[in-house]
Amino acid sequence: MFGVAIIVFFFIRLTPGDPVDIMMGQGGAISAGELDRLREEFHLNEPLHIQLWYFLRDAARGDLGYSYVLKQPVTSLIAERLPATIELAGGALIFSLLVALPVGIISAVRQNSWLDRLSMSSAFLGISMPGFWLGIILILLFSVRLHWLPVQGRVALGSGLQERTGFFVLDSILTGNMAALTSSLLHLVLPSITLGAPVAAVIARVLRSSMLEALRSDYVTLARSKGMAETWVVVKHALRNAMIPTVTVVGLQVGILLGGNMVIETVFGWPGLGRMVVKAIFDRDFPLIQGTVMIYAFTFVMANLIVDVLYTYLNPRIKM
Amino acid sequence: MASSIPLLDVRDLNSVFPSKGRPVRAVNQVSFTLNEGEILGIVGESGCGKSTLLLSLLRLIRYPGKVESGEIRFRGKDLLKIGDHEMRSMRGKEISMIFQDPLSTLNPAFTVGEQIRESLRLHNVINGNTLPWPFDGLRREREKKRVLQIMEEVGIPSPTDRYASYPHQFSGGMQQRTLIAIALACNPALLLADEPTTALDVTIQAQIINLMKQINQERGTAIILITHDLGLASEFCDRIAVMYAGRFVEQGTVDDIVENPQHPYTQGLLDCRPRIGERDQAIRPIPGNVPSLANLPHGCAFASRCPHVRDICEQGPIPMFETEPGHLNRCLITSDFQRDPDWTWDTVVDQEHVT
Amino acid sequence: MEVNHDISPPFRDQAYGWRLRLELWWRNFQSFLRDLRAHPLAMAGGIIVILYLFAAIFADQLTVYDPTRGDLRLRHIPPAWEAEGDWAYPLGTDSQGRDLLTRIIYGARVSLSVGFLSVGISVVVGVLFGTLAGYFGGRFDAAVSRLADLLLAFPFLIFAIGVMAFLGPGFTNLILALTFKGWVEFFRLVRGEMLAEKTREYVEAARVTGQGHAAIITKEILPNIIQSVFVLGTLRIGYMIITEASLSFLGLGLPPDIPTWGSMVATGRDALLVAWWVSTLPGLAIVLLVMAINIFGEGLRDILDPRLKLDG
Repeated sequence: MFGVAIIVFFFIRLTPGDPVDIMMGQGGAISAGELDRLREEFHLNEPLHIQLWYFLRDAARGDLGYSYVLKQPVTSLIAERLPATIELAGGALIFSLLVALPVGIISAVRQNSWLDRLSMSSAFLGISMPGFWLGIILILLFSVRLHWLPVQGRVALGSGLQERTGFFVLDSILTGNMAALTSSLLHLVLPSITLGAPVAAVIARVLRSSMLEALRSDYVTLARSKGMAETWVVVKHALRNAMIPTVTVVGLQVGILLGGNMVIETVFGWPGLGRMVVKAIFDRDFPLIQGTVMIYAFTFVMANLIVDVLYTYLNPRIKM
Repeated sequence: MASSIPLLDVRDLNSVFPSKGRPVRAVNQVSFTLNEGEILGIVGESGCGKSTLLLSLLRLIRYPGKVESGEIRFRGKDLLKIGDHEMRSMRGKEISMIFQDPLSTLNPAFTVGEQIRESLRLHNVINGNTLPWPFDGLRREREKKRVLQIMEEVGIPSPTDRYASYPHQFSGGMQQRTLIAIALACNPALLLADEPTTALDVTIQAQIINLMKQINQERGTAIILITHDLGLASEFCDRIAVMYAGRFVEQGTVDDIVENPQHPYTQGLLDCRPRIGERDQAIRPIPGNVPSLANLPHGCAFASRCPHVRDICEQGPIPMFETEPGHLNRCLITSDFQRDPDWTWDTVVDQEHVT
Repeated sequence: MEVNHDISPPFRDQAYGWRLRLELWWRNFQSFLRDLRAHPLAMAGGIIVILYLFAAIFADQLTVYDPTRGDLRLRHIPPAWEAEGDWAYPLGTDSQGRDLLTRIIYGARVSLSVGFLSVGISVVVGVLFGTLAGYFGGRFDAAVSRLADLLLAFPFLIFAIGVMAFLGPGFTNLILALTFKGWVEFFRLVRGEMLAEKTREYVEAARVTGQGHAAIITKEILPNIIQSVFVLGTLRIGYMIITEASLSFLGLGLPPDIPTWGSMVATGRDALLVAWWVSTLPGLAIVLLVMAINIFGEGLRDILDPRLKLDG
């Protein structure tokens, strides 16, 4: 993580263009004295390694800097948008697991059936499609032509949603606002599917192949010879072992979720971190970019850690 | 005390695996009987269909392979005709199986104790009707006690400590004992053993064989043992069947086979073992190779490698001849029938002793 | 290595050299083509890729219109099969009146060159580092592995976006962004295999006969590893193309005057309600190309190393 911070920092700092000049370009006239004061405050006159030290120290305290462009502390900006992104990522993850798990298992059990072939072809398609394209197609189909689902945003205007936690779905439940609940859920559908599709495809394929291997193994034959019903054999013996490599892959997919979410948020107008970062890039808002990328990397590392823990739990051979 | 009907009566069993060309005939017109408490050894080279035979008995052959025809009568009931549900209740309870490589056969994700307990649970050995999970604590306790008992019987030291161990923490011998424990949990009448000692060291081998002997004597469990080691079979079994290219080529008591081997293949097997004390003798292997099970010759499958071969051997499928009571031999030349001048392929069909 | 007795004695010693190698290589290639023919899907994929390549290379000859300048009077003409369509503009025109088919064909140039180039460089760097790290170990290995782990902490797209963010748009910057993290995969693969192969007997044998390190690596170990590298490489090309498209979509790819499929989809979004084809069709081009590459890559894997087969 430490190394991550360093890399991020250096990248940001290496860009041409004095940040304060940029800020000037936003605001209007600021006196020269004011400029100097600002430079002082942001430690921009100090040599790079001192700046790095300040950055790390502040970050550890939870202060990720100040956005020149948006005139707010980075931390609060992130906190504002984070729930939205988490909701989206969560929705995508749930969708992908809901689809990939049954598909992976059934495809393996009924290998080479029409279901298997269909699923694997779809999975293949899923990994060949760019996310933004899928999103646009889905919007065209479901929003524009069929009017089933909303096009943009997280919730319909006029639903009267009161925010408590920032998680719209949760908030609407908490405030008992049914209209808001349905609206926010509906809004969640298309983006989740778009973000989750490639992930689901990968998970389904890995699960299928590890299930196939598990089903061919000797311990499955033993289980059958004990007189176990086939369904139970699949679920108890084969699946348990097939999950092991699958879980690792799921962990990696979190990375894709994080990366893809920038694109998806842009497509669907989803007010989350991703969209904010993209805008920040165009605005050259470095502290913001810095802070967000840090958060992303942090989440990724955390997710992998969880996966590692899960892995040791599932695979007794590693426990020792 | 022998019962009137044999424990297992197999007739003309055929198991095939379809393939792009001709189907692979892994089990080809196999017939034999097994009485309660008897130990039958099936001896043959790798790939001759022995494992498939055992799997056929339990109807465990993976699609697209299948049992094509024949009868498997277990205590009179034809296993090939009963429903799936009934067959499942037989597996593990009346007929159990142990396999060759214990490490790959045990599920690495579950503890040893759990896997043994599973056998008990599957067949409701303890306490017929109780509440379902998670309210079955009492039953689990009793099952666990029984598992510990079994573990002790098969010779796993400190069962209480070992209950929660994982298979990879055991040595090869202990793993195999675990497999045996799993197989014996429900006290089956028949134990199928597919080369249980091949993956083990020689000293451990002896231990496992002794264990199996003990089980046979104390519980009266019949055993079918597959092995490629004729010496092992002669020590352990009551009767031996020699298998070649999917067929039984000779069957008889241990004494019959070892002292009076009739089929040229059996003779070859006995010949090619190195013997202690004969240091300067060259080992005499059997020349040639086993024919592919998908491409069996029309006549005798051993013809191309046989020192006694004549033209007549290749003309048609060779039946089994009973040369002495209980001693069957699938060879025209070494049986008496070829000395009969009226003998033709047609007369073969009418012979009483032919199987 | 078989000796070709057809070559007369004075040349035979030389024949161990390039001529014989060429012949062997040609024979291998032919048997490979034969294997390929048994996999119709993979062949189809390969053919499609070649078609795309062809279109990209000969874009100038194949198209009539100017991909960058359009006639505003001709904006938003639907594709030819629709009611108001016109076969002069088979796939319709975009918001600036530019012919979509032409733009798509030119867009192929970008995608293909970026895809192949970025993967190519990643492979070279990754294999180089991986070989050195795996074979020689030591501090180089430790340092590079640490770097690799660090880079892996970032999700790929975010990293690329970040790099493009401050490097600004541009072709070389794009390639740089993609390869900066791309090599890590190949590094790991090669390093892992190198570590495994290093201890195998044939390496010992070569060393015993006095072969130097460089010779051992190039002649003995690499040919074995090359196949998996190749397979991985083909599968990554598709991913790189999608990433490039995503970057262009966000406006972080190449300068806006160069037609790229991603930017076409992006600009088409504004007109989505009236002119669906402007966004949809370029995206379809991407999907088709990536699918073809992936099918080919998977077929390749089946042929070269059936052990890795995902179908089992």
